[in-house]
Amino acid sequence: MTSIIHPRVRLLLSLAKDSIALYCAGRWFPTLVAIIAFSQLAFAETLSIPEPSPAVLESQTQRIRAIAKATQSTIGVFGVDGQGGGSGVIISADGYALTNFHVTEPFGNRMRCGLSTGEMFEAVIVGIDPTGDLALIKLYGSDSFPFATIADSNTVQAGQWCFAAGNPFVLATNLKPTVTWGIVSGVHRYQYPSGTILEYTDCIQTDAAINPGNSGGPLYNSHGDLIGINGRCSFEKRGRVNVGVGYAISTNQAQLFLGHLKSGRIVDHATLGFTVGSENGRVVVTNILETSDAYRRGLRYGDEILRLDQRDITSVNQLKNILGIYPTYSRLRLRYRQEQQTIDTWIRVAPLHSAEELQEIANGKPEEAPVEEEPDSTPQTIDDPLSDRFEKRNGFANYYFNRVELDRVLGLSGDASLWSKQTGDWHWSGKLRGEQSGWSVQLTKATIESTFGDENIRLDATRGWESAIESKSLHSSSLAVRLWQLWQTLGPRKMGESIYLGTTKMVDFDEMVDLTKVTAGEVEAYFYTAPDDGRVLLIEVEADSQLDRLEVYLDDYQKQADLKVPRSLRVVFGTETQFIVDLDPLVFAVQAGGGL
Amino acid sequence: VNDWIKPWFIFVFVCLACESGTLASDTALEKSPAKIAAVQAASDPLVVLANRLQSKLVKIYGAGGPKGLESYQSGFLVSDAGHVVTSWSTVLDVNAIRVVTHDGRKDDAEIVGMDPETEIAVIKMTRGDSSFFSLQDIDEPIVGNRVLGLSNLFGIATGDEAMSIQRGVIMAISPLSARRGRLKTLYQGRVLVLDVMTNNPGATGGAVVNLEGDLVGMLGKELRDDQSNIWLNYAVPADVVSSSVRRILEGKTNSPVRSQQLKIAQRPHRLPNLGIILIPDVLPKTPAYVDQIVPKSIAERSGLMANDLVLLLNDIRIESRRSLEESLATIDVADSFTLLVQRGQELVRLDVRP
Repeated sequence: MTSIIHPRVRLLLSLAKDSIALYCAGRWFPTLVAIIAFSQLAFAETLSIPEPSPAVLESQTQRIRAIAKATQSTIGVFGVDGQGGGSGVIISADGYALTNFHVTEPFGNRMRCGLSTGEMFEAVIVGIDPTGDLALIKLYGSDSFPFATIADSNTVQAGQWCFAAGNPFVLATNLKPTVTWGIVSGVHRYQYPSGTILEYTDCIQTDAAINPGNSGGPLYNSHGDLIGINGRCSFEKRGRVNVGVGYAISTNQAQLFLGHLKSGRIVDHATLGFTVGSENGRVVVTNILETSDAYRRGLRYGDEILRLDQRDITSVNQLKNILGIYPTYSRLRLRYRQEQQTIDTWIRVAPLHSAEELQEIANGKPEEAPVEEEPDSTPQTIDDPLSDRFEKRNGFANYYFNRVELDRVLGLSGDASLWSKQTGDWHWSGKLRGEQSGWSVQLTKATIESTFGDENIRLDATRGWESAIESKSLHSSSLAVRLWQLWQTLGPRKMGESIYLGTTKMVDFDEMVDLTKVTAGEVEAYFYTAPDDGRVLLIEVEADSQLDRLEVYLDDYQKQADLKVPRSLRVVFGTETQFIVDLDPLVFAVQAGGGL
Repeated sequence: VNDWIKPWFIFVFVCLACESGTLASDTALEKSPAKIAAVQAASDPLVVLANRLQSKLVKIYGAGGPKGLESYQSGFLVSDAGHVVTSWSTVLDVNAIRVVTHDGRKDDAEIVGMDPETEIAVIKMTRGDSSFFSLQDIDEPIVGNRVLGLSNLFGIATGDEAMSIQRGVIMAISPLSARRGRLKTLYQGRVLVLDVMTNNPGATGGAVVNLEGDLVGMLGKELRDDQSNIWLNYAVPADVVSSSVRRILEGKTNSPVRSQQLKIAQRPHRLPNLGIILIPDVLPKTPAYVDQIVPKSIAERSGLMANDLVLLLNDIRIESRRSLEESLATIDVADSFTLLVQRGQELVRLDVRP
């Protein structure tokens, strides 16, 4: 760092210059004294104003850098008429952005977004989570949008610096975000739903000023990495302005919902199927539905909940916090105490709302309402540049994106055209692991033949599936093989109604995987596919939502003439493995219809 | 600014040390961004301070509920015997005050005493804790000092959840009486005016600390200027808290509970004879609010007025209508006594002469 001369000294220097020059004429000695004295004075002055410590300068530089970086991905969200306004944050180069549901709700399916550069971009709704107050939108017009780095919000701690960026009071006519600096006041906060305000779970509390218009905007840590989506304040009698308490939806919750939001659906939250109460510092089950998965996993009235999703449960709020960050279609680890026994298991959560309820919340009115709205939106869609990016469908915020995502999932494997040639009969056999007996499946167009040990049964290609699964028949594994055959050769769209649901975690598998639901005849099948190559990892078949699903895990994939084929199957009901089959190579019949 | 540099310096140093891997503990950790972020957050001096102070704070629950009156507030420990300093408010108008410590443990507390002039109350839990704020050697705060406010504002935290932390600056140190008549408060002494929205529902009784974690003040009540609609965020300075607490503990403010030994007078004062009509006794602790004053009565002559709230009788705390009646019964009808009443936002001392 170069030394900085204090302004006062500089002024003194310039003033003194002339008088010194005058003084110098013919009087060299006093001049010398004066010069020495003066230079010493200047030196002393310079010293007495020390430079800020390098640490301070460094932290200031870092702060400036963080703000500069973070404001780029912060957007203002407006209606297509330029009215209204909230905030949002871009999370990918192709323009996906997160905001609050309550921000996008008044704009319907189309909005305009302003970047800090002053540019405006057209955007369309992708998916909404009305319960959790999140919405995903997509901006169009660039393939290199500046986007935020998402931080792990579980590392956030109270006392840490943070800042909000956004468009409070819709002040910024030049679209440059307003930055409000503060600290994290609390973490893992639970906020009850109140009036029109939605439930906030496991959220981050900050004293950075959050005002109307900040909604949907980002909360960053001191590095400028995204830690939350600002959305709610503790407003009481003081009106709708900052009172020193703002809440942000954690990025961990946003991450868990992101895949679901990308599916274009109206995403739902989860329920455990039991209620808890606090009893002498213990959290105990006060009521439980006998139809819930938790009940099937042995949980009963009065049992103590110890851990959920690997987090200790010390209060009812903590349980609600954990549950609230998960979308439905999730499976969570549960540890509970029953009498003296500690039990670890996995439970499947159930949807918090019925499809009708969810549609109603999303619309703010009964299901029929969107139809009435149509005349209004028709003239607008004529010259709407994004009219081909929106598709209305019940249960969806924008069905267009469901097709996009399903296409993505199906395109991952790259061998779809090879599989489509294997529509003939299949024969597949193997050995039950740890046993002598064999297992085989023969699939023709009309029948499914299953051999398990000495027992051989023949199932109809479409009927009788329900009872096989309900009775937990070991032969039902052949149904999963049939579903996999159809998925590979026909593709889900020809099997029945197929909906991409989002990303989720599987039991004992840490990575997020894609989840697609296919309604195939009498049953609903859930396909869990790998995010890298789209191979099917798990097929779940549900005959009745109140009973355990058939789970067939496809493992040990090996190449078989350019096709990736699993070489082991693991069959599970509930959490119990029924059997594992080590498979021989799959045999394709040369001609369709004939059998072997 | 100086007190700000120090923790920052430490913070940045630790961050740099973490990055360069000079900290021994870092080598054992995986270098994932999440881990690094966690290490950085954990070494942030404010995070360390926020964690350290939690064990000195308590959540207080009592009376209230309807009509926007909160039934909760904040407090902090000031002794290893379980003494808690909090704000004297209607929340404390219950027989058993519920106190929840940082670890979620519940305890019942009794009122040790209160100081009407500072609106500070000391309550005592049944058990003590080694973690508390020292009220000795209090540094004089300076305008411009950085402070943290710690409270359970809005009742956000319950059970073992951490109380909220906010950061701000002391904007001014000024007597509150400058605003007398416009802001509703009994306390009219020196206050620390803060630039952060600390004084929210439930925040009163919370701690204001400096960056070393020493007590600087106690968060006051919610105050709004009726004309400008501006809410004031302020704290009672720690030295005022300290001397108030000392006086309460020494029994110099008023006796917390009316002594049972006091004899009932032969011919005692009674409310009707004095011309005082209080609001009906409907609660376990109905406040001694004057509903009406009988014209030309002793009470009227003494200057008592309708809507006065009786706080002290001969320096004995009046916590309810019943305790006023009981205290009056110990005074002979011929004797004078003094009353301290709250009238609007002022404290008025009255001599009642028969």
